[in-house]
Amino acid sequence: MSLRRARDLVIAFAALAACQIAGSLMSHSLHLPIPGTVIGILILLAALTLLRRVPGALRDVAEYMLKHLNLFYIPAAIGIMAHVALVRQDLIPILAALFGSTFLSLIVGVLVFQWVQGKTISDEGEA
Amino acid sequence: MSDIGWQLIYWDHVGEGAAWIVLTLVTYLLFRALQQRAGGNPVLNPVLLATATIILLMTLSGRGYDDYNRGGAWLLWLLGPATVALAIPLYLNFAQVRSVLLPMFAALMAGSITAVLSAIVIGKLLGASPETIASLAPKSVTTPIAMAIAAEIGGIPALAAVFVIFTGIIGAIFGSAIFNALGVKDPRARGFAMGIAAHGIGTARAFQVNWQAGTFSGIAMTINGILTALFLPLIWLLLA
Repeated sequence: MSLRRARDLVIAFAALAACQIAGSLMSHSLHLPIPGTVIGILILLAALTLLRRVPGALRDVAEYMLKHLNLFYIPAAIGIMAHVALVRQDLIPILAALFGSTFLSLIVGVLVFQWVQGKTISDEGEA
Repeated sequence: MSDIGWQLIYWDHVGEGAAWIVLTLVTYLLFRALQQRAGGNPVLNPVLLATATIILLMTLSGRGYDDYNRGGAWLLWLLGPATVALAIPLYLNFAQVRSVLLPMFAALMAGSITAVLSAIVIGKLLGASPETIASLAPKSVTTPIAMAIAAEIGGIPALAAVFVIFTGIIGAIFGSAIFNALGVKDPRARGFAMGIAAHGIGTARAFQVNWQAGTFSGIAMTINGILTALFLPLIWLLLA
C-alpha cells in the first residue's frame, strides 16, 4: 500500500467520523429528537449528491466497515449484563414481541411491496 | 509516586481497556470464521457467540461491565461512523431505488409501522415494564439508531441493542421460509422486507441468498432507520 493510498484511507475514515460527530453535535445542541447518526447519514448523502461521485478510498473504507459491522455490535450487546434482572422478569413478553413482531413485519413488508408493484405495473401497462 | 505505582495505574485505566478491545476483536474473528465455515448459518451469529463468550470470561475473572467499557466504549463509538457509511451504498444504488419508488415507499411505511406498533402492543398486552417496551419499540432498526431512539423515549440502549440483534437473527433464520410460504419470488420484494424487519443481520443473510435481494435489503434498512428515528418518538408520545 502506498503512502498516498494510506493517507486517502485515513482521510476517508476521518470524513465518516466527522459526519458522525457533526450529527451528534447538531442533535445534542439543537435538542433534536433525531439521532446524531441519522443526521450524519443525511450530511454524507448531501455531500455525495453535491460531489456527484464517491471517492474510491471512501468507498473502500465504507465497504470494509460495513463488512465488519457486527464487530461494533458486540460491546453494545455486552451491556445486557447490567440488565439481567429486567430481562428475566419480562422474558415472556420480550420473546413474544420479538418473534411476533418480526414475523408480522416480514409478512406486511413483502406483501405490500408485491401488491403495490403489481398495481403500478398494471396501471402503466408495462414497467 | 514510584514507577511501579504509575505502571499499575496505567494498567488499570488504559491497559485493561485495551485488553478488552483485543479480546473482543479476537473472539469476533474466531466466531466469524466459524460461521463462514458453516456456510453462513444464521444461528451461529458471531455477535451472539462473542458476547456470550466475553460475558463468561468477565464473570470468571470477576470483572464488571464498567471494567469492560473502558475499552468497549471506544469500539462502540465506531458503530457511529460505520453506520454513517450506509449512506454510500444508498447513494450508489439510488438508480435502482428510483425504478421501484412507489412499492418501496408503501412497503416501507407499512412494514416500519407494523414493526413498531406490534412490538409495543404485544409488550403491553403481556404486561412488560415500560422500560422494556420502550427498548422493544425500535427493535427492527439498525443498532446505533435503535439505541438512540430507545434513549430518547425512556428505554435502555443496551437492552435495545440486544433486542435488535435477536430480531435480526429471527429474521435471518425464518425470513426465506416465510416468503416461500407466501409465494413471493421477486428478490427485490424479499430483500426489501428483510431489510425493514431485520436490518443489518437480515441484510447480511439476504446477500448470501441473492445479490439483488441484499442490495434492496441494505437500502430498506437505511431508509427504515432514518424514517423510524423520525416517526417513532411521535408515535410514542401519542400512545403514552
